[in-house]
Amino acid sequence: MLRRNEIYRIDYVLVSAVMAVIIIGILMIYSAGFDPIDRTNSGLYKRQIVWFIIGFILMLMMTFVRYKSLGDYCLYIYFFILLLVIVTTFFGTPIRNTRAWLTFGYFSIQPSEFMKLAVVIVLAKYLELRERDIRHLRELLVPTAVTAVPVLFIIMQPDFGTAMIFIPVLFSMLFIGGADVSHLVAVISIAAIALIFPMVLTYREWVADQDTSIIVSFFQDYGLLFTVAGFLMAVSITTYLLHFFLIKKVFRKIYIPSIVFSLGLFFSVVIMRFLKDYQKKRILVFLNPDLDPHGSGYNIIQSKIAIGSGGFFGKGFLNGSQAQLGFLPEKSSDFIFPVIAEEWGFAGAVILLGLLCLIVLRGAQIALEAKDKFGALLAAGISSIFFFHILINVGMVLGIMPVTGLPLSFVSYGGSNLLVGMISVGILINIRMNKFVY
Amino acid sequence: MSQTSLRTRMLEAFRRRMFFLVGLISSVFVILLMQIINLQLIQGETYKQRARMNMENYIPIPASRGEMYDRNFKINERNVVIVSNRPSFNITTIPASFKSKEEMAAVIRPLCRLLRISYDDVMNDIRSRNPWERVVIREDVGFDTIVVIASNQHRFSNIDWEDAPVRVYNYGNMFSHAVGYIGTISPAEYKRLRDSGYRHYQKVGKSGLEGEYDSILRGMDGHYRRVVDVRNRIEGEEVGLQAVAGNNVILSIDFEVQKVAWEAMKDLKGSCIVVKPHTGEIIALVSRPDFDPNLVISKNNAKIIEELNTDKNKPFLNRAIQSKYPPASTFKIVTSIAALEEDKWNPNFTFHCPGKYTLKGYIDRDFYCYDTHGTLDMYWAIAKSCSVYFYQLGYKIGPTIILKYAEYLGLSDKTGIDLPGETQGFLPTKKWKLKTFGQQWFDGDTVNLSIGQGFVSVTPIEMANLVSAIVNNGIIMHPHIVNEVLSPDNKKVLRKTEPRKLREIPLSPMTLDTLRQGMRLGVKSGTSGRLSYLKVPIAGKTGTAQTRSRRKDDYSQHAWFVGYAPFDGPVENAVAVVVMIEYGVAGAVGAVPIAERVFSKLISLGYF
Repeated sequence: MLRRNEIYRIDYVLVSAVMAVIIIGILMIYSAGFDPIDRTNSGLYKRQIVWFIIGFILMLMMTFVRYKSLGDYCLYIYFFILLLVIVTTFFGTPIRNTRAWLTFGYFSIQPSEFMKLAVVIVLAKYLELRERDIRHLRELLVPTAVTAVPVLFIIMQPDFGTAMIFIPVLFSMLFIGGADVSHLVAVISIAAIALIFPMVLTYREWVADQDTSIIVSFFQDYGLLFTVAGFLMAVSITTYLLHFFLIKKVFRKIYIPSIVFSLGLFFSVVIMRFLKDYQKKRILVFLNPDLDPHGSGYNIIQSKIAIGSGGFFGKGFLNGSQAQLGFLPEKSSDFIFPVIAEEWGFAGAVILLGLLCLIVLRGAQIALEAKDKFGALLAAGISSIFFFHILINVGMVLGIMPVTGLPLSFVSYGGSNLLVGMISVGILINIRMNKFVY
Repeated sequence: MSQTSLRTRMLEAFRRRMFFLVGLISSVFVILLMQIINLQLIQGETYKQRARMNMENYIPIPASRGEMYDRNFKINERNVVIVSNRPSFNITTIPASFKSKEEMAAVIRPLCRLLRISYDDVMNDIRSRNPWERVVIREDVGFDTIVVIASNQHRFSNIDWEDAPVRVYNYGNMFSHAVGYIGTISPAEYKRLRDSGYRHYQKVGKSGLEGEYDSILRGMDGHYRRVVDVRNRIEGEEVGLQAVAGNNVILSIDFEVQKVAWEAMKDLKGSCIVVKPHTGEIIALVSRPDFDPNLVISKNNAKIIEELNTDKNKPFLNRAIQSKYPPASTFKIVTSIAALEEDKWNPNFTFHCPGKYTLKGYIDRDFYCYDTHGTLDMYWAIAKSCSVYFYQLGYKIGPTIILKYAEYLGLSDKTGIDLPGETQGFLPTKKWKLKTFGQQWFDGDTVNLSIGQGFVSVTPIEMANLVSAIVNNGIIMHPHIVNEVLSPDNKKVLRKTEPRKLREIPLSPMTLDTLRQGMRLGVKSGTSGRLSYLKVPIAGKTGTAQTRSRRKDDYSQHAWFVGYAPFDGPVENAVAVVVMIEYGVAGAVGAVPIAERVFSKLISLGYF
């Protein structure tokens, strides 16, 4: 419990950075909701203030609760929120064809946002318990399952962006938790191989590239691909058996790459055979919005115009033409950063980005200084959620990352996102406070 | 002990990996920062420009196109307005300005009912375009419809309209070949004219005077500058650039004369040109069959244009300047000039016409005359159009001299009339015949040439120039239709077409007199006898051209009449008339009655 002298141990740097970012966010939501022609406001900023107050209370509450108990109750938390996610997936309120929200009268919440935190807590607990065995491949099975189940339901909603953020968070937690780097690299390589070849082929088909090189014709021949994948698989199994009996390091260098390539090729054939053309194209546009300038590409073009036209000092509060005249889409939520960059210019954008960077690095520092492994992993997991949100959102609006509907933590309009963010900050403060407790 | 060292090692590994990630995170933030610098500081100006382009919208204000008046235009009086404009509006919308498909349907459906157009057609048109682009729902809507829409703005939200004056050809077919028509600029034309300030949505003169004088008539479009939001709601509007109206033009064409000639040629194929030789002013220019330019520029004109293009009578062909025919007996004028000018002949010399002329050779060949004229001199030969006389005369002077004078008189050159698409006549040469047919020039060719048969062909406008040369003492003026260019308010004359010499042939008085007398005689007691009762002395020459194709259901001969009046009066008052009727039986039958109506109209209008 919080003792009187502990009030001085609250991390005021983190708290002030978070408060500053949230206030900037509310101002920008006000600006984004303003209609210069009707001189009215959509009023979203008022809701965000309410969420902020609720979030502040929850943040304080999290500083009172000893974070260790989160680990003790992690499975209850995990399954409760997973249940909410599943209920949402099937009975949620459809907004723009996505069932991601549960509506309670005036407000609605997005359980998938809370799921991120729940997954991080479970992973932290599991990795703490399996600290010694985590180098074994089989130990990666449980963390993967813990992540994959909610991801599958979130994809069914379908909320591709939110689902995707779990994957880098899982990988960073496994990395910090001590997993074998070669395992992680192997999995990432398989995914990369499985994706890249079908993408390249689809892209060439789409832009009607008639030049058929040997590599292209190779990948168009599924039978040949299967043969190669099978051959590599056989090589891998043989060398693995040799390795098993002879225990020679040299075999490891053969069977790991060949199994990686074999599985990669196998999955690429599966993707090419079973994905419909429009699905392949959707993934392509996800990777490169310029291919679809009237769809998602339009948003990125407008976003870059908004940011670029801000210049150094910006056009002034409520004066951004891109934001105020509506050329910028989703300006209260996913595209809030361009509003700041347009109206407050380079100065505003750099200050906001600096504050966000400070929050993430402060989280990392808290992880490094944490008293125990659970606290360290929890802090690192929370920081990685923040980090990947910032990377993917800001990278998207700057046009250097694929288009995914992810909000900018603390800044974008959205109750659940803000609540989870502030609860997470409360946990971070808690972890830091407890490093002084012996 | 090993327990502790394992813990330490694991803690070390954890710290190492954390530092690695911190490094990764920092570099990611640096990359994001660099992209912000790139967008805002390095490319800032480009993006500022693009942001301006987003919110600024230019709505064209069409310039009103210049009007056309007939030659009797007088300021502040009731004038004959041949071409004018009618105020009209286009109903437009920007599909993206609607919040939803349902909202759009709720507006477009009643709008289509009001405009009496098919809802499905409109929606198909909208779907086929970029939703941010302005769509014209309907062109050419009257002011009353705009009033209805404007007073029901709540029902017709996001519906806009723009000025779009419609060209009106007040006399329809009557002036079709002289005036031409306009149309939306084609991609090829746009490529060519872009540098002269033409825009892809503008109309451009396609043929006739509309095409030739487009740069004078078109004026300059202006634009409104609007600041709009993404749904195209207007935040502010101002006139960015005032439109400059096009200049009006006064034609040399006399409405009354044009009307008479046009009506006289009803149901015929051919052309009629009335010209003042002294100045080159065209007083009437009719080509039949013709078309209604109002239909050609109307909505859904594709079908009409297609029909006109595939019509076997070729109504788009301006037969006065774009068709060439054998000149037939009218070419005897050229043969006469050549003989007289080369001092090889005297008008009083005679030939005998027994009704045919036998050309001696390896095989004797007979050339016939339509009558037996007996012995006649040149005056009577011209008047009676005696072919045997000219067979012998042409044979005597040879083809080279005849062709030389034909060329002097401009029969193988474009006249440079201010209409696009003019073609020129054709004069055969020995060289040409050898190249084309692999044969040398026979005497028979010379005999044929001397009466304008065989390979020679001319355009009616060239024949008008030939007559002008006789009237105007050997001087051919540049033929033109536009007399003056006026300022848009008609108060100032910006440009006057000064009469300009096209060519000058030093014809001797004897030559001129011979031809004038001969043609006068032709009217008094020759082939153009019908014209003799008119109050003003007319001179004329008919022609009947053999065509190669013989049709059962059609006359196989073209009819010509070339003439002028008054035959010996002051040159300033003279008017020349050329009539050319395809398959018109014979000059005297097919062409002369039309010339007769034109001359009587000219007389009653006091031209002489």
